[in-house]
Order: sequence, then structure tokens, then C-alpha cells
Amino acid sequence: MIRIEPEPWAAMVSHARETYPNECCGAMLGSIDGEQKFVRVAMPLENAFAGAQATRYELRPEDLLAADKAARARQMDLIGIYHSHPDCDAYFSATDLRNSCPWYSFVVLSIQKGEFHHANSWLPNMDQTEAAKEELSY
Amino acid sequence: MAKVLIPTPLRQYTGKQDAVSASGATVAEVLNALTAEYPDLRKQIFTPEGKVRSFVNVYLNDEDIRYLSKDATPVADADTISLVPSIAGGSTVTVPPEEAALTKDEILRYSRHLIIPEVGIEGQQKLKAAKVLLVGAGGLGAPLGLYLTAAGVGHIGLVDFDIVDFTNLQRQVIHSTADVGRKKLDSAAEKMQAINPNVKITRHEVALSSENALDILKDYDLVVDGTDNFPTRYLVNDACVLLNKPNVYGSIFRFEGQATVFAYEGGPCYRCLYPEPPPPGLVPSCAEGGVLGILPGTIGLIQATEAVKLILGIGEPLVGRLLLYDALGMRFRELKLRKNPECPVCGEHRTITKLIDYHQFCGVPNPQGPGVTPAAPAQEAKVNEGEIDVTELKQKMDRGDNFVLIDVREPHEYKIASIPGSRLIPLGEFPRHVGEFDPEADIVIHCKSGMRSAKACAVLRQAGFQHVRNVVGGILAWSDKIDPSVPKY
Repeated sequence: MIRIEPEPWAAMVSHARETYPNECCGAMLGSIDGEQKFVRVAMPLENAFAGAQATRYELRPEDLLAADKAARARQMDLIGIYHSHPDCDAYFSATDLRNSCPWYSFVVLSIQKGEFHHANSWLPNMDQTEAAKEELSY
Repeated sequence: MAKVLIPTPLRQYTGKQDAVSASGATVAEVLNALTAEYPDLRKQIFTPEGKVRSFVNVYLNDEDIRYLSKDATPVADADTISLVPSIAGGSTVTVPPEEAALTKDEILRYSRHLIIPEVGIEGQQKLKAAKVLLVGAGGLGAPLGLYLTAAGVGHIGLVDFDIVDFTNLQRQVIHSTADVGRKKLDSAAEKMQAINPNVKITRHEVALSSENALDILKDYDLVVDGTDNFPTRYLVNDACVLLNKPNVYGSIFRFEGQATVFAYEGGPCYRCLYPEPPPPGLVPSCAEGGVLGILPGTIGLIQATEAVKLILGIGEPLVGRLLLYDALGMRFRELKLRKNPECPVCGEHRTITKLIDYHQFCGVPNPQGPGVTPAAPAQEAKVNEGEIDVTELKQKMDRGDNFVLIDVREPHEYKIASIPGSRLIPLGEFPRHVGEFDPEADIVIHCKSGMRSAKACAVLRQAGFQHVRNVVGGILAWSDKIDPSVPKY
């Protein structure tokens, strides 16, 4: 399961609300203790998708590399990616799945009419054909 | 030994180590050595077929190896290799708007598209919803216009202000003999509409300029550049970068062509490739240098293919790669294009944030200067100092004046047409012949239209010649005004 501490959680929600009606994205840094993941820092990243960002996001690999470096510098780990679904439920869409990877937790925040509504965390499989729901607390 | 940084979730396969050293001369060797030592890691990074998984980007220090030498990128001991997944997503698969639904007639018309799984109904609807601007209805614009219309691109804009001319017909297959003298826009739009009445065609009868470009381009999803001059090329590039629209680029000369996609999702732009325009006149246009009539067909259709791929979102776009085509050798080559971090328009410290004066930037006169209306026939050329018009040249000949007439065109052009009494010295050889002339002599130089002869005049003046004049309008003006039996080409 994945636990997001209050400070990073507040940062993620406000990032998603500020970016509304577009999708936001970012990295989650923290630590892993066995099956339990703890998110201690949320790192907002730029949505680099070139077209309409209301329904799409894209992370620059360079930014992810920088997030991984930042995590190492703080003795933390890069453990997940978050993004928002404006006016849409926090499911893991076909687009999400196809462009995901099996290494991280993917937290999706549903923002309805500009306000946080609900969130889910997902774990994609190796071939990006399915994603399992991961227990999420915040 | 190079250091490989291990992403958190993979450390369970490397004995909890966050970095592992592995030896090898190239990235492929290092990764193979690494996964040989930690076999469980292998299936995370490689597919069962041994290819690096599609979501894995490999970085050597801070550089993506795709932009270096891929797998074969050399690795030194001090180097660090990182594995970075590519991640994107979105709430919904983009659903084309309601109006893009296909009618029964359209389903029949596009059936050969619909039965390709990569296109299908969804892809054809994307084409129908797409808005593409073609800049130029000439050599490249002809195949582009015909095929993009046939393919069902829903809205096509055409920018052109030119008139169909006999010399266009050898390659601009969208225009027919009966169209000579008509506006290219009208001629092209008619042919396109006849192929596919479902397509909306918007005619922009203007010369694209810094004043109107953003306004015209903003309504389109992507731009296809079919222009033949540097000011417009830079203008289209900068406008596309500023508006964040892909620019499908093509260019042609004699037997060779180029194509690539600029300004696409952070890829390089035309200025990354050519920060500065060539000196005026160095690169001849099709009118000056000639072009194999079939060539724009090949290059224009490569552009059309890229445009359709971008709209459908399928395949590997021609981004970061300059495709070079050599018709004589019948070879395609590819050059890697990198985004220039110092690029003045798309780099990090950009200095160009709005459109500039592109004629001034390229050092060429603006043919659409104030007072010149588009599509107007060539104005009576003004005779400046150091120039002579064909009428005066003829009078000079008839009077039997003692002067030297030099033709600086190429021998194959001389064979097509020449002015009696002229001596042929191609421009390229001209500097070597300067010593043969008397600096006090009365010298008149011509070429086809006056561009090359202006350069030859400058060479002589620099050598101290006092009485050198350039024939305004060249042999084309001679044919128009003095001797119609001299063929124009």
C-alpha cells in the first residue's frame, strides 16, 4: 500500500487544482519499507504534452531523471508518479496504461469542476496491459 | 567500469544496491554485462526477444542515447548510465468531435483506410477533424493538395498568391495547361474539390508575412511548408514554433530533396538546423537552378505521409531526422538533427519571441513591398545606377558602340537561348577571367534574370573596373521586349 504524508498530499491537490482544466503531473519521493510505501515529498513537474492538455499529460524523461537525482540527494527514493484527471474519474485509462511503466505507483487525482474529488493508485504490469489498484491512504 | 544507477523498484534485483558498476565499451555491452550478473533484472529491462523495453529510455550521463549512437554509444569509466521510463497518459482517449462522424458515403470512400487496423474509423475521423495548412500551391503543394484531399483531411487551407505559368506545368501537376494565367489558388482548389467534395478548402490569397502569419496559422493543427524561398521558410518556422504547431518541411533542388518535421513536441526547428540563412543568391531557387519535374512529387508525398502520420498519431514521425533523397543515385540517407539549446527561437534562452522582418534577415528585397499588390504582373523594372535595360542595350548594339557583352550563365542555358554578340563566361569561372578585360572598357553583363550578373558586376567593380553595367531582367527581359523569338525558360 502507499501512504502519502499530509504535506506532499496538500501539494499534489493544490497542483491539480491550479492546473485545472488541464492535467497536471509530478513525481512522488519517499521511502519503501517492505510492501509499504511512504510519500514524503511531491515534486510538481511540467506537463510536456504538446497538444491539448485537458486530456493528456507527458513527462519529460529529463525531468524524471532530475526527480530521481533529487530523491537520491535527499536519501529518498523515486516511488511514484501522479497526474490529474480533470472532470473525469481517477481510473487508469487506456492512454495511461499504454504510456506507463511497471516500476512505479501511479496516483490519479480526479478533479471535478476545479475541486478535488477522489484519488486512486495503480500498479501497471510488465507488458502495460493491465493495472492493479493499490491501497492508497492520505 | 561505468556506473549504472538502479531505479528504486529494481534494487530488489541488485541486492538493494542503488548503483552497480558494469564493464563494457558500449551501452549495449554494459547493459548486457549488468543483466548477466543480475539475471532477474534482465526481464525488467529487456523483452524476451532481447530488445530494450519500449518504456525504457537509456541515458548516458545527461544525454538520451537515442540522440547519441543508441546501443553503440561508447562508454567511458567515469560515465553514469541511468534507466528512465517514458511516462505519459491522459483521462480519456481523445474522441473526435461529433461532427467528425463519417457518413455512409464517406465510409465507402475511405474503405481502404478503414480496413487498416492502424487507421480504422477512429483514425479516419481524426483525419476528418484535422486542419492542415499548405503554404504554397506549387511543386510540393501539388501532390500534397491532391493526396491530403483524397485521404480525407477535413479542412485544408492553401496559401498562395501566384499565377499559373507555362514553366510550372512540368511539375505542378495540380495545374493543367488550360489553367495558365489563372490564380494557382483557384486552379488547385478546383482540382482538390473535384477529387473530394467532403473536404473544406480555405483559400488564403496572400503572401505570408510577419503581419498575417500568426493569424492564418493559428486556426490549423499543422503546417506543411511547400515554399521555395528562405524568408518564407524562416517565417513559417518561427510562426510554428511560437504557436507550437508541427511544421512538415520539404525542399527540392535539381535531383535532390530533403524532408523532416520541425517544431514537433520539443523536437528541433529549422533554425536549429540552419541558424542563419545562406548569403543571398548562394542557393539557387528552382527558377534559377532547375528541378527534375518528378522530384517535388517524391518529396511532397513524403511530407503528405508525415502529415497523415502526425494526424493519426501512428508510426515514428520524421522528427529529429533529416531525410535526404538523391534521385540520381536513388538513395535515401538520414541525418540526425538535434535541438540546439542555444536556438534563438526554440532554445532555453530564446531571443526571438515574435515574428521579425524575414526579408531583411535573409538579406533579400521584399517583392511584396508597400504598393505592390499580390498577383500583380511584374512591374516595370526600375533602372538604377550601374544597370542598363534591354532597350538601351539594343540601341547600343544598333549604334555599333564599342563594348563587351558578357553572359555569366551556364553553357546548357546558353544553348537554350543567347543574346547575339555575347561572350559566355559562367559565373563560377568568372573571377579567373577578370584579368582578360581592360579596366577602362565599357562592360555589360547579363544572365537569365539579373541576379548572377549583379554578382559578376560586383566582382569587376571590386577589381577597380569603372564602366560595368548589369542588364536588368536579363535574357528574359530581352525576350519580352526586344526579340520574342528568343525562347524563355
